[in-house]
Amino acid sequence: MLLRASGERDEQTYDLSAVTDGHGDSGVPHSDTIRALTEAAVANRWDELATARDAASAVMGEQAMVDVLTVAAGFNGITRVADATGIPLDDRAQAATEEMRAVVGIDRFDYAEKSARYDAVGASAS
Amino acid sequence: MYDTPYPVRPDLKEKHAAAWRMIASPGPYFTAAERVQIVEEARAALSCDLCRRRRDALSPNAVTGTHDAASDLPPVLVDAIHRIRTDPARLTKSVFEGVVASGITAEQYIEAVSVVCTSVIVDTFHNALGLPVPQTPDPEPGPATGPEAARVVDAGAWVPLTDVEVEDGIFGLPQQPNIARAMGLVPSAVALFFLAFRAHYALRDVPLSISQAQAEFIASRVSAINECFY
Repeated sequence: MLLRASGERDEQTYDLSAVTDGHGDSGVPHSDTIRALTEAAVANRWDELATARDAASAVMGEQAMVDVLTVAAGFNGITRVADATGIPLDDRAQAATEEMRAVVGIDRFDYAEKSARYDAVGASAS
Repeated sequence: MYDTPYPVRPDLKEKHAAAWRMIASPGPYFTAAERVQIVEEARAALSCDLCRRRRDALSPNAVTGTHDAASDLPPVLVDAIHRIRTDPARLTKSVFEGVVASGITAEQYIEAVSVVCTSVIVDTFHNALGLPVPQTPDPEPGPATGPEAARVVDAGAWVPLTDVEVEDGIFGLPQQPNIARAMGLVPSAVALFFLAFRAHYALRDVPLSISQAQAEFIASRVSAINECFY
């Protein structure tokens, strides 16, 4: 979760809650278009992708549209590495994101907390 | 790969092709044929009925059954692959512990994670551009290459992490972030995954036509969708 640092660097204020709640104006240019394209790609909503690509190309340009998908595809992989290994926050990430985590409620994604939540329901299936 | 009118960067095409070739080579704990099967299993997960029912459930562990498998890989490994592909947000430590308890080593698990997540990057990008996913590569013959030397420590993750406190070559940070250490138990797994990933994002020196803030918004949104704590 890097957006807060980017806002400080750009001297901009971004609405971090727009990242996790999936709507609202984040303050990032074209964020509605980017969000629609990203979500269609990552959530396998194939029927929405063509329209989302066309919309993004129209307002951002074709190369920017491809670059949105480039970043989204990369993070669709790397988030799974984190999810599959249960890595803790390192000190740098903890320090850089402490306030943001409180704002957006991302602490509920903590791997120990999620393990307790989901493992409490039912037995593991084969 | 990437027969498309869209402007896909040449470097990304090259890195994906190289990663595909690397998957089709023997790994330290799996043969090339098994690594290709891991990709096929990850793809099969998208149409697996058990995975669909689990996604719809309050907890995936409340739903039992058998996966629609596409390989003869061990069932517990098939289960892990399907979960990583279709429901990463609800992976838990007990899933990992169940894999290890069944006789799959942590090293094998890491190698499988790397292959799955690399294929997720390649397939997501193809699908996102409206392209069919690439054919799985023809596996090279030969046995697994054997254990690799790894310097790792227990740092609170489910698996041991790379034991380094030096400048990393992945994100350009003075210390390796844990995400770069996560697969350190199997160095070639780190190499495979970041071969593909580095073409997609870095904190600097990645030629994107979108701003850093836009890239970070995308990264953050994907992290939220996949409930990635890190």
